Amino acid sequence: MVRAWNLVRKELIQFRRDWLMTTFILTLPVLQLILLAQATGSRISDLCVAVLDSDRSYVSRRLVSALDNRRELDVCYFPETLADAHRLLDRGEATVLLIIPDGFAADLADDSVEPHVQIIADASNSVSGSIALNAAKGAVLEFASDHAAARGLAAIIPVELRTTVRFNPDLNARLFSMPAQVGFIVYQVTLTVAAVGLARERELGTLEQLMVMPLRRVELVVGKAIPALLVGALNFMCMLAVTVFAFGVPMRGSLLLLFALTLAFIVAEIGYGIFISAVARTQQQAILLVFVLAMVDMTFSGYMVRIKNLPIALQAIAQVVPFSHYLTIIRGVMLKGAGLDVLWPHAAAMLAIGLLVITIAVRSLSRSLD
Amino acid sequence: MSIRRLLVVARKEFRHVTRDARLLFLVTVAPAFLLTTLSYVFALDVGRVDIAIQDLDRTPLSRDFVTSLNADEDFAVVAYVQRQEEIEPLLVRGAADLVLVIPHGFTDAALKGGPADLHCVIDGADSIAAGQTLGLLQIRVSDFVADLLGQRSIEAGVGIQVSDRAWYNETLKSLVSMVPGMLAVIMCMPALALTLALAREKETGSFEGLIATPVRGTEYLVGKLLAYVVGGGASFLLAWLVATLWFRVPFRGSLLVFFPLVLDYLFASMGLSLTIANFVRNQQTAMFLVLMVFFVPSFFIAGLIVPVTDEPIAGAFARVLPTTHFIAISRGVFLKGLGVGALAEQALALLVIGVAALAVSLVVFRKKVS
Repeated sequence: MVRAWNLVRKELIQFRRDWLMTTFILTLPVLQLILLAQATGSRISDLCVAVLDSDRSYVSRRLVSALDNRRELDVCYFPETLADAHRLLDRGEATVLLIIPDGFAADLADDSVEPHVQIIADASNSVSGSIALNAAKGAVLEFASDHAAARGLAAIIPVELRTTVRFNPDLNARLFSMPAQVGFIVYQVTLTVAAVGLARERELGTLEQLMVMPLRRVELVVGKAIPALLVGALNFMCMLAVTVFAFGVPMRGSLLLLFALTLAFIVAEIGYGIFISAVARTQQQAILLVFVLAMVDMTFSGYMVRIKNLPIALQAIAQVVPFSHYLTIIRGVMLKGAGLDVLWPHAAAMLAIGLLVITIAVRSLSRSLD
Repeated sequence: MSIRRLLVVARKEFRHVTRDARLLFLVTVAPAFLLTTLSYVFALDVGRVDIAIQDLDRTPLSRDFVTSLNADEDFAVVAYVQRQEEIEPLLVRGAADLVLVIPHGFTDAALKGGPADLHCVIDGADSIAAGQTLGLLQIRVSDFVADLLGQRSIEAGVGIQVSDRAWYNETLKSLVSMVPGMLAVIMCMPALALTLALAREKETGSFEGLIATPVRGTEYLVGKLLAYVVGGGASFLLAWLVATLWFRVPFRGSLLVFFPLVLDYLFASMGLSLTIANFVRNQQTAMFLVLMVFFVPSFFIAGLIVPVTDEPIAGAFARVLPTTHFIAISRGVFLKGLGVGALAEQALALLVIGVAALAVSLVVFRKKVS
């Protein structure tokens, strides 16, 4: 163990010497998190609406302001012609286009005809496209029922749906995305540090020197893993502080539990890193492999697509991705106050994967040393 | 500047990539491979909502209502709850996304013409999904009531006919909008490889050998850039084939328009990579910077999922990021069939980023040993 500790000291000296790298590793993740949280925003709002109002009546203007009043929408263009309106959609300057035909107000006043409006959304981004489309439709329907109510034609709605939203009453998107971003950045940092560690020694030829030293393979792995663990843990604490204190994401569960499981997650990722290190011959290969792995993990983590919506085969892949378990854990602990009684399957899976990967990594390392 | 020497550098770099089979794979095939995996996950956007029911009414009507919810793919009843205390653990565990409570007396009130309350407790952690689920549930409740009363649905009865259309992606499929966006993100890979190639020469000392040759600084940088732009172009074509032939994402524009814009994007992203590479001395730092400055923001703030933000700092950062412009270009050409005219702004932005970054690199670059 003393020998492994010596290796750790050597790594720490290297960190101190390469001060530029060390500064980046310690400060960039937090800056990155702040930037991402800023950019994600608390909700998708103020998508741009273009209105082609051929009616130009008092009623049509009220319909336009009904759209403008929706949180998701912001009326910002009044194109004159259909061609102009299409150009706005083409260029992505407007997300949704509302066309109010001539005679809209007259039709609305006349009970025998049903007035007609057209809504066209830019669905090239399906997320903002469907949000804008639904919001615009909702605004028009609301306007219509208000109008009907004003004329005493209101439909009685016999069932009322009352809603209680748990864990995130304001439906603030940041509460959901920030814990995931913390997890992703911790993941990136530890994987990078761990993956490059051995590949670098190999490329510079110093791995052979390490080999002739009285150092067992396990000690070599432990010595390389501890600096990555320190970096990951330190980054995690800083980012958690920013998340909770600067962005007001609640911390409802046990901090100690979250920290312990985060360490387990970092260990599992270091296992992957060392495995990459053992497979790759150069740092360039190692780094590009990290990049590929990061994108695959990101996709299967449940950050963008919910795991239970995947077909069974892909769900199975998600089960062996430690990041997907960790996401459930960090969101569960922070937002839902979940304890180990609920999270143990995920914790156990993460630990099992970590141990398995580290074992494979150590073994493949011994084969690739020659 | 001598074209001959420039080509020599480019050839050397080519040989470096093609000699190393793993690196060749990572630079050319990996983007197409990534696109395939990632897109499969996005192909499945039918989200099933797991619901639990607490039926305190226990009448044929309340059971009919539950059956009507269970009738298609949108909702799946996964549990029946007997007592109030069971609700919270279900949500904490994530076993159900929402719990619907049908209060005692629901049927009586509904048949008398209302208002009959339904109470729904929803897991709001994922705010976007929760918002969509609530909207969906509201529609299902209205449909059920309309059937019950033998009326037309409330939506149809209000008196304005809304025709809504989603342009460019008529079925609002996320696959169709994600593949062109993802294409932009994964094309960061060749740029990453370039940064590493530069840092590698400094780290392994082969850079010193280059100093002794008559190759000038400009020739060296442009030569490297050229090699990786060509490599990136090849890997783009592969990814493009996957997108159009395998995933059948409509390609409405012209490849003659698209390909030069891809080169423009590669030029901008590689220019930025060169600038980063100038400031670092080893591959680890280079990797870390590229991941943090380039790759992670490309995922989150470049408009892939949520639209580009209006926040001043994050928004400015997004506009310096080449990925932001290329996501707009890629979706524009793929889905909207735009020509150069409509994309001039983005194309120009990429060109400016590329030229500025290259200029900075050339000024900073010193062909000497520090």
